[in-house]
Amino acid sequence: MIFREVEDRDLIHKARKGNVDAYNVLVSRWEKRVFNYIYRLVGHREDGLDVTQDVFLKAYQNLGKLEDPARFGPWLFRIAHNESYSLLRKNRPETELTEPPAPAHNPRMLPIEVSITIERAMARLSADQREAVVLKIYQGFKFEEMSEILSCPVSTVKSRLYTALDLLKDALAPVKARGVE
Amino acid sequence: MNCSPDVLKDYLLGELPGPDCLTVEAHVRVCLTCSEELERLRTAQAVLASSPDVEMPRRISFVSDRVFEPGWWQRLWNSAPRLGFASAMVLAAAILVHGLTRPAPAVPEATAYSQEAVEARIEAEVSRRIPAAVAQAVAEHDARLRTEMARLVAASESKLNFERRADLVTFEQAFTLLKKQVDMLQYPRLASSEMVPSR
Repeated sequence: MIFREVEDRDLIHKARKGNVDAYNVLVSRWEKRVFNYIYRLVGHREDGLDVTQDVFLKAYQNLGKLEDPARFGPWLFRIAHNESYSLLRKNRPETELTEPPAPAHNPRMLPIEVSITIERAMARLSADQREAVVLKIYQGFKFEEMSEILSCPVSTVKSRLYTALDLLKDALAPVKARGVE
Repeated sequence: MNCSPDVLKDYLLGELPGPDCLTVEAHVRVCLTCSEELERLRTAQAVLASSPDVEMPRRISFVSDRVFEPGWWQRLWNSAPRLGFASAMVLAAAILVHGLTRPAPAVPEATAYSQEAVEARIEAEVSRRIPAAVAQAVAEHDARLRTEMARLVAASESKLNFERRADLVTFEQAFTLLKKQVDMLQYPRLASSEMVPSR
């Protein structure tokens, strides 16, 4: 992990000098994580890809403002957060999340049914709670990093996450009860 | 340790320090409520984690264009020769501005003094050279006059000598003729006898 951080720092240093190839390497390391984070927020693959491209473009243009290259990840996700919410605000009427249909009642759940159940459970969360879950469960950020990305106190991050987990544990309990095929 | 759902969540999410983790684990072993709560949280976490990341529709790659080109100040800052050249230009501009804006009281006086000195030197040099040139020109003119005079005198003397010799010749001829006429008048018989051939 330390070696990776050093490499990222070196790539950032080169990209700051205008080395696009170095920046492309950096993009290739982070694009999937950023895309999935955005995709889980906006719920649309093409929109997710467009926003991801915008995020990396803005990140390149503002690399000089990144004070600590070791904090590139949270800094990048902060941009992704802003861009995602910008899109959500713009397309709010069209992108209101609709609850996926309830899976058919089977003794055991198919993987697709598990996915639908997860989508339904996530859709019941508020946007803030959903984002907290994505950052913690799927992206593995620490509370301090989430605080930086979401630009809010750690206590707020914890509150959102705790509430979300309370809701999710109830919503996802049937998965364990019925098992997965 | 008292039952605390939030601490259980922190434990589940890996946000508790090591000693606190041991405390939670010890509590969960003896507390059925917290044990069941932790189990439900673990289930939710596991189910969520079973939803894998999706692949991107397309990979993202950037090419160098005007948007990505660094600004002029970045190129300047990142290039030692350019930075050096710019520094030299700034230094030259500073010197130029300083030279144009600073007061220069001594320069006009120095210039006036130099002009006067130059004029004095020119005047002295002219004064020194003109008499010499005039004297030289007069000498050359005198020499030319003397030469011409000598030539004319020589020519006159030659002409005079020629005329004198011509006069002498003429005089001698006239004298000889006169002498013969005188002789003829004084000695007629001699002259007649001389005119008869001898027998």
